[in-house]
Amino acid sequence: MDHIRKDGDDDDDMNGEVDPALKALEERQDEVLRRLYELKATVDGLAKTVTTPDADLDASTLSRGPAESVFRGTADLDSLLGKDLGALRDIVINANPAHPPLSLLVLHALLCQRYQVLSSVHVHSSVSVVPPPLLSCLGPRHIDSYARQRFQLGFTLIWKDVSKLQMKFNTQSMCPIEGEANVARFLFRLLSAEPQDPLAATQMDCWIDTAVFQLAEVGSKEHAAVLRSLNSALGCSPWLLGQEFSLADIVCACCVLRAGQTTSAAANIQRWLKSCQNLGHFDCVNPLLQ
Amino acid sequence: CCVVSSCFRAGEEEQQAQSKKALKKQQKEAEKAAKKAEKQAKLVSVRQETPVVFDVFSLRLCLSLSWIEADRPLVRVQDLTPEKAEQQIWVRARIHTSRAKGKQCFLVLRHQQFTVQALLAVGDRASKQMVKFAANLTKESIIDVEAVVKKVEQKIESCSQQDVELHVERIFVISQSEARLPLQLEDAVRPEGEGDEVRKVDLIIINLHRNLNTTTSQAIFRLQSGICQLFRDTLINKGFVEIQTPKIISAASEGGANVFTVSYFKTSAYLAQSPQLYKQMCICADFDKVFCVGPVFRAEDSNTHRHLTEFVGLDIEMAFNYHYHEVMDSITDTMVQIFKGLCDRFQTEIQTVNKQYPSEPFKFLEPTLRLEYKEAVAMLKAAGVEMGDEEDLSTPNEKLLGRLVKEKYDTDFYVLDKYPLAVRPFYTMPDPNNPKYSNSYDMFMRGEEILSGAQRIHDAQLLTERAMHHSIDLEKIKAYIDSFRYGAPPHAGGGIGLERVTMLYLGLHNVRQTSMFPRDPKRLTP
Repeated sequence: MDHIRKDGDDDDDMNGEVDPALKALEERQDEVLRRLYELKATVDGLAKTVTTPDADLDASTLSRGPAESVFRGTADLDSLLGKDLGALRDIVINANPAHPPLSLLVLHALLCQRYQVLSSVHVHSSVSVVPPPLLSCLGPRHIDSYARQRFQLGFTLIWKDVSKLQMKFNTQSMCPIEGEANVARFLFRLLSAEPQDPLAATQMDCWIDTAVFQLAEVGSKEHAAVLRSLNSALGCSPWLLGQEFSLADIVCACCVLRAGQTTSAAANIQRWLKSCQNLGHFDCVNPLLQ
Repeated sequence: CCVVSSCFRAGEEEQQAQSKKALKKQQKEAEKAAKKAEKQAKLVSVRQETPVVFDVFSLRLCLSLSWIEADRPLVRVQDLTPEKAEQQIWVRARIHTSRAKGKQCFLVLRHQQFTVQALLAVGDRASKQMVKFAANLTKESIIDVEAVVKKVEQKIESCSQQDVELHVERIFVISQSEARLPLQLEDAVRPEGEGDEVRKVDLIIINLHRNLNTTTSQAIFRLQSGICQLFRDTLINKGFVEIQTPKIISAASEGGANVFTVSYFKTSAYLAQSPQLYKQMCICADFDKVFCVGPVFRAEDSNTHRHLTEFVGLDIEMAFNYHYHEVMDSITDTMVQIFKGLCDRFQTEIQTVNKQYPSEPFKFLEPTLRLEYKEAVAMLKAAGVEMGDEEDLSTPNEKLLGRLVKEKYDTDFYVLDKYPLAVRPFYTMPDPNNPKYSNSYDMFMRGEEILSGAQRIHDAQLLTERAMHHSIDLEKIKAYIDSFRYGAPPHAGGGIGLERVTMLYLGLHNVRQTSMFPRDPKRLTP
């Protein structure tokens, strides 16, 4: 920068104008920095793509732009849930605010990508205070929410003083479904992403039950044992069932995250958790982990 | 000779013994007389101690009661708690029951919803005559007692104040009640199903001035007062202005059929069926948000459990920015605040009512559940009801829908939005997206309708078209239509009935129980 200055040490001359050559230099510097940032972002994206194993369930991992929503027609819902009688097919979930069902929030995010979902959160009169993150856990209110008829599916989360999580759908023909794992299985079926192979399906169920029943208490022997088996399973393949991302990964990851102490977890588990996070569906879970 | 002397001595001893006996007897009698004299003296002194105003033993009463300005504080029955143990206090209350048992008299004293046990026993402070006097006092008489508050080991289940009882030292009668009551108060408070064939409600209404005094009635009307206050407070906090609207009007607002006519000097006028017209005029005058509390008169010849010819209407009207849901959300939020306020501050009253009329506690969701009319029809059809898509909901269907909603969402309060246009009044704004439906809504508590509301047509021309469509005489509503010709903001609103809301919140079954002086086609007094 051995540029000849006209006056003193100031950048500005007597009239307050910047030296044009200096200005050009600053602009070049800004340009270089901008390109560096862009390069960094691209490399980051590529790194994520390379380190995150394929997850067929979601085609939007490759581009961090607006999610490609794959709206399957209502024919799927009709066969799964029964004929549409003109009423919004509203799935009602009653959950205790002391134990937020993290896996159901992840499934909600997945459902929103496949269908037009009207989501709402209510607080039941049996509960007096609910922390704000729980009130906004389903995301911002949809623009069209004043017209319920425009949606294919309703997802109504009610924070209520219940001992066990409970789902109600068609009260005339269905009994309520209890327990986070069972409701998760129901919602996963709506995504038509169940493993067709019975062996894989059984393994998935096995992982879900293991997570729900044995990952509950941190520090217990069972908890440590499950973490060990998770670690060894994830040593052989990117996801719990092999190459396919499944409900087993969702439920187990949520249980591990809820138990906390993930920074001290084994290497495979950490890698796997990072992959889950990179998928984007777990974003809704993070605010509730604090 | 020794025999003789011993005999003589025996005789002497006997004589001495006899005189000892006599002496003892004399002593005893003297004691008795002394005690009696003492008692008499005490009675006299008690008489002398009492204020000039009252006479304990004869019932000469001073009706005006303003002889002296005593600053003797009176403790309310509801404040008699273990904290006051061993204190000597004065209480004014009614005699709820009285029962004599030997040397004791058990009284239950009552004030408003609260009762306490009182004991009067023959002893230092009370004579036998006093106990007898207390036992003979008529029920419902208002008395003042001076008593010491005592803790009890076993809870007194039959009274509201379960941890204490009063040991009475003095009693004065303030206002005596006639001996035969038109309705025994225990009967009025006994839960349904435990008694005679006569309809309890009618019996209660006939003797209303007695009935207002029961613990349950006290609780019901205190809660009702709370609803009114919460309504006002919530709306004022939201920036609403309270207005007063006239009840004597020149034209029937809702339609000609169900309106009372009154003679008005040389012509006739009507009693207002709703403050609709005037609320809207206030909106056109840029008040933005208004509410009013006042009587509503409906000349409907319906003898149902939920209709009155005169009731208290709580009405809201609000201008909105973009969508009538802004108003609907404001109304549902007001209702939710009322429910929360009642739950927080009126638990005592709710429990008191529940003792006589058990019911499920009122449940609701926040924000309020909103369903659309089409959904309701689908739900009813799925449950086996046959109805047309644009048909109005009958009362049994409304109740069934309430049960279906309760089953699925576990709420007693919800909004049904987007009613068919054909079943709503002429001033309802049609749905811009579907001409067969309208921007109108009903709100339900425990499956019964409590509010009917809508976005109003604020355009004079559209209003005229809709009125003609309903074959309404335009001349009669000329003033109404004119009020929209000089710029009217888009607005919506609705109104609730105070008595019905009270009835449904408490889970009662007849609106006459929640109206202090009910009016229906067969009842004009008290």
